[in-house]
Amino acid sequence: MDIFNNLILGFHVAASWENILFCFIGVLIGTLIGVLPGIGPTTGIAILIPITFGMSATTAIITLAGVYYGAMYGGSTTSILINLPGESASVMTMLDGYQMARKGRAGPALGMAALASFIAGTFAIIMLTLIAPPLASYAVSFGPPEYFALTFMGLTLVSALGGDKPLKAYISAVLGLLVACVGIDAISGVARFTYGSLNLLDGVGFIGMAIGLFAVSEILENMEEPIKQVFSDTKLGFRSLFPNLRDWKDSFGALWRGSLLGFFIGTLPGSGATLCSFIAYAVEKRISKHPEKFGTGAIEGVAAPEGANNAAAGGAMVPMLTLGIPSGAATAVMLGALMIHGLRPGPMLFSTNPQFVWGLIASMYIGNVFLVILNMPLIGIWVKFLKIPYNVLIPLILTISATGIFATDNNVFDMWIMFFFGLVGYVMRKLDFPAAPMVLALVIGRLVEMSLRQSLTISHGSISIFFTRPISGVLTVIALISLFFPLLRILWNRYRRGKKTTA
Amino acid sequence: MKKADLITAIVLLVLSGYVIQDAWQMPPSATFGPGPSFLPFWLGVVLAVFATILFVSAWCRQATKKDSEPVFPGKQALLGIVLILVGLAGYIFLVEVLGYLVDTFLFIVFLMKVVEHEKWRLTLTVAVSTTAALFIIFQFLLQIKLPSNMFGL
Repeated sequence: MDIFNNLILGFHVAASWENILFCFIGVLIGTLIGVLPGIGPTTGIAILIPITFGMSATTAIITLAGVYYGAMYGGSTTSILINLPGESASVMTMLDGYQMARKGRAGPALGMAALASFIAGTFAIIMLTLIAPPLASYAVSFGPPEYFALTFMGLTLVSALGGDKPLKAYISAVLGLLVACVGIDAISGVARFTYGSLNLLDGVGFIGMAIGLFAVSEILENMEEPIKQVFSDTKLGFRSLFPNLRDWKDSFGALWRGSLLGFFIGTLPGSGATLCSFIAYAVEKRISKHPEKFGTGAIEGVAAPEGANNAAAGGAMVPMLTLGIPSGAATAVMLGALMIHGLRPGPMLFSTNPQFVWGLIASMYIGNVFLVILNMPLIGIWVKFLKIPYNVLIPLILTISATGIFATDNNVFDMWIMFFFGLVGYVMRKLDFPAAPMVLALVIGRLVEMSLRQSLTISHGSISIFFTRPISGVLTVIALISLFFPLLRILWNRYRRGKKTTA
Repeated sequence: MKKADLITAIVLLVLSGYVIQDAWQMPPSATFGPGPSFLPFWLGVVLAVFATILFVSAWCRQATKKDSEPVFPGKQALLGIVLILVGLAGYIFLVEVLGYLVDTFLFIVFLMKVVEHEKWRLTLTVAVSTTAALFIIFQFLLQIKLPSNMFGL
């Protein structure tokens, strides 16, 4: 019953004209970012943070969240029509979606993508509504050791799951934590790594770093190979968008499995929408009665990944809102925005700022309805946006970023931070170092350090405190397993190979 | 990639040594419990360990096909990247001298004309409309005081 009352409160907040308007603007921009190749949801959110400064915290995060899940809708359009993913979470949609389009079934593919997104997205918000409050009230009892274990686990999981180069991801996370150390130490008041610079006393600006690592380095990388401009001349009538009964029958199972998988894997730190859509597609192919149809235009192959990436966007909100731990790069950037707006992320958020949390959750129900309307009848308009040349986008993205960063503190120094991390981010991309663990580490760095030092003060310097308390014990063990998992896998492979040669 | 990994590992090792040394010189904790140098010091140690693993694994690994490919792109693309970086640095450097409006306009013209070789018509359209739109959004709607030059522009 509580949940019901809270939801009413949430809708009360979300239904103010201001919040509805910005929710709409958020999902609109999100769809656009999803459609445009060469600019991803994380970049989009990072660039938009400064523009949200004039708004209340609730309106700001409603807008940014809208960009995030809106991008999941938009990404499928280009995947299906021109075989080019608008963002990485819709890579899997390309496989069968484009084949369907080639066979003249672009309409049902696009329609199924939008409807699957809507159904899975709404499912994920319902799950979020049900799961988040009990989880938050459970987490309220967490002390410093639990928090340290949790943040530590978040960092190791993001690094271990985030790509095929775990070692480089760990290095990226350690570097991020080091960057978080810059500035005045909150406990002792000692200035660290500032070298007499007044600008660094407050620490390295989060927005500058995020925009540098994602937006600027993305532009630099795209300079290497100019983005191809492909147009689609597919004529799309509104009626042609609706999948027929047979399509629904084929994709029903894929849709609910994709939603479930996407939501639950999406709640894990480090998973992200891209990984969820990969897993959902792989699962469908494996359990299908006719796996040979996948890749030739099977509608299940569109429904499963599209459902999964939207459900994952909802799932990602669970650890962010209840624990203050981001699950990936996009939520890390959103969490940074939350802090800039003066909210303290963590389980207390539900009791101290119920209007914010429930307003945000309720706005996601509304946003999903907006999105299905935007994406079904108006899909032809979105396709036209592909005609914007990337050459026009480069100056746009750079000037919006630079101006926004200046606006955060009226300080040109923050622009230099963007410049520096743009260069660092580009080199990292070239050397296969993922940027997500670094940004995540900067966002939660202070929390990691505080909880670690407080725990060790409580325990008189013994690290056993992280193992003897039940919750932190479990979390620490998970963290250690994921930390050493790459090593274990190598040893296991060697052991098996050794066995084969002796046998 | 193999050679790049070796160089990266050495750079990271130097960085970790520097961090450890810097942490060593921080004042000790005045109160009970770990002090300000605690986390930086251990991060430096962990970074050194990771960098060593990276070095050893890159050293021992057999060169794959990907290793023989250059990490950084050819001259043409690299020139574009350097031009963007130089333009951006100039933009940031000059924003308080030239003022926001002039500086932003020139930066966009530089990007579209010098880096991308677009036509003048498109260049000027984008430069004028973007500068104007950003100025209106930030200066008037968000009430941010953007940098101005000596003439107050």
